[in-house]
Amino acid sequence: MNNECVSETVGDYVVVRLRGEVDLSWSQQVRKAILAALGATGKVGVEMSEVSYIDSSGIAALVEGLQNARSKGQQFGLVGVSKAVMAVLQLARLDRVFPIFPDLDAARAG
Amino acid sequence: MPDGADERRALDFLAELIQALALSTDLRKTLPMALGRIADFMQAEAASLFLVDPASGLIECRLCVGPVDIVGLKLEVGQGIIGRAVAQNTTQIVRDAQTDARVNVRVDAETGFITRSIICVPLTTGEGPIGAIEVINRRGGGLFEIEDAVLLETVAAPAALAINNARLVDGLVEQQRIRRELDLARRMQRMLLPKRRRGKFPLIGINLPAHEISGDFYDYFDLPDGRIAFVIGDISGKGLDAAFLMVRVASLLRWSGKDGLAPAQWLARANNESCQTLNEGRFVCALVGQYDRSDGSVVFASAGFPPALLQSAKGFESFIADGPPLGILPDIDYGERRLTLGDDALYFFSDGAIDAREAGQERIGNEGLRDMIASHTGLAPEPRLRALIGDLKRMQLADDTTVLLLQEPRGTAAQTLLDLPFPARAEELRRVRARLREALDAQGVGPELRDRLVLAVDEACTNVIRHAYCGNCDDTITLRLTRERDMLGFELRDEAPAVDPEKITTRDLGDCRPGGLGVPFIRALMDDWQLEPGTDGKGNVLRMRKRLHSDGDLETNK
Repeated sequence: MNNECVSETVGDYVVVRLRGEVDLSWSQQVRKAILAALGATGKVGVEMSEVSYIDSSGIAALVEGLQNARSKGQQFGLVGVSKAVMAVLQLARLDRVFPIFPDLDAARAG
Repeated sequence: MPDGADERRALDFLAELIQALALSTDLRKTLPMALGRIADFMQAEAASLFLVDPASGLIECRLCVGPVDIVGLKLEVGQGIIGRAVAQNTTQIVRDAQTDARVNVRVDAETGFITRSIICVPLTTGEGPIGAIEVINRRGGGLFEIEDAVLLETVAAPAALAINNARLVDGLVEQQRIRRELDLARRMQRMLLPKRRRGKFPLIGINLPAHEISGDFYDYFDLPDGRIAFVIGDISGKGLDAAFLMVRVASLLRWSGKDGLAPAQWLARANNESCQTLNEGRFVCALVGQYDRSDGSVVFASAGFPPALLQSAKGFESFIADGPPLGILPDIDYGERRLTLGDDALYFFSDGAIDAREAGQERIGNEGLRDMIASHTGLAPEPRLRALIGDLKRMQLADDTTVLLLQEPRGTAAQTLLDLPFPARAEELRRVRARLREALDAQGVGPELRDRLVLAVDEACTNVIRHAYCGNCDDTITLRLTRERDMLGFELRDEAPAVDPEKITTRDLGDCRPGGLGVPFIRALMDDWQLEPGTDGKGNVLRMRKRLHSDGDLETNK
């Protein structure tokens, strides 16, 4: 599975789709994509069903996105979180901090 | 009246004398010479130097020149001319001694010497007079003049300074001598402690004296039947007499245990002996035992020693003393404890460890000790004991502190499962994780634990790249994975400048902000980790350990 970070607009919602293993080698790219999406719209979700690994630098990018959105009253959530990502979120005790949605429809419904 | 030539002569004399006193390295030689020169220069029949003895408060003649030897003559402060000079800290001039009420004529009566005229000046220091110099009778029958008194005062000042300095030096030398002797005593005491055995020996002890010398001791020795006997003890009180007693009691316990007497009887015998020989009010807390390596059985008995602590997979169990300390009451029956050691660890701590405290806090107590041990569970016995002692040393130790650890060292040598050098670049990490996953899979580590361990190692690599190398570079990081029985070891070596472990920032999990999660992840995922300088001081070595538990960590069918 190759690493991939693609942003798609679905109505007023931007979804940042991540694939592969999020680590130090490209977590800056993920961070920029998330901040760019938050600059473009008020509702952003990060889709992670095909993320097989995430390290603390990837988690940091997600936390920064959440804090950024909150400060501006925007919506920010994680969508379709894989088991591997969930394990790390739990370890960092962030599984209850992020709004987490099973799929894009649920995320868009807020 | 001295004319110009006399004055020059006086100045030359003074300059020479002051220099001799100032440069003197041995006043016992310089002072008699100086006193002789003073007597000659002042044309005195006799001269003497008196010093106050700080112990008795009396003024004692330490040096004299002239027809009568009065060295050793003792006077009260205030008594006679000399006593007055010291008491009043002023120069005394006597023009006609025979009619002067101040003069003590007793000495003349005893010696036949006739005192006619005297000058006496105090030897003054910043802390007051320390003695006096006296010249008696001008040769040829003349009288001393005021100028003579001024001259003697001028000589007295450097003499007082030189004597005072010498006394201070003597004090320092004495202190150094005592320190050297204490140091020697401490080294001799340490020699009484058993030597660390090479190879896989199940007992390790460490003794930290609170002062130069210790009242604690430990010992272990082989019994004729192949078992190993061990002893740990703590003498009541501290300091020199506790230390001497320690030497006696340590040899008593070795002597009474050398035949392999059961621990209860061993203590009873040592107790009866101690009751006869220990001084009033002294007692000894001791624990003695035997360990049989062939079947792993331990038997021990405690005379007032702090609770023994057994650490097993189930947690901690403590064993309180089986009777009172040695040396209080004769004919005591002591109880005994038996257990099978297996892979467990049995700790014996003198109460110095239990009484250790963080600055300004309560003593750590048995609970604190357990937490401390638990935080180093992942380490092998010897590094674990060193880590414990390190923790204790960082605290305030009021008392001697001794730890004896009984635990079988792990049998097999560590097996290397992965030895992977790679460039310190973030792009490499994906490949490193894949190789580590494979190696852990091959060990039958379950996927959940495997992913957690991979995360911890990846975080560690990330930190090395970011904080040790300060970014991607082509220098090498080497990852080694080892396994020793159920213990996995992860080692990361780098060639970066040394990182100060104290400066590694960390945070609490649950503190929601980006960054700084790497170390908390490692801490949460591994049993323990430590960062050390690399071999020869080059680079850093990060070691992490994780014990595999048979229930769940391992996939059984692999």
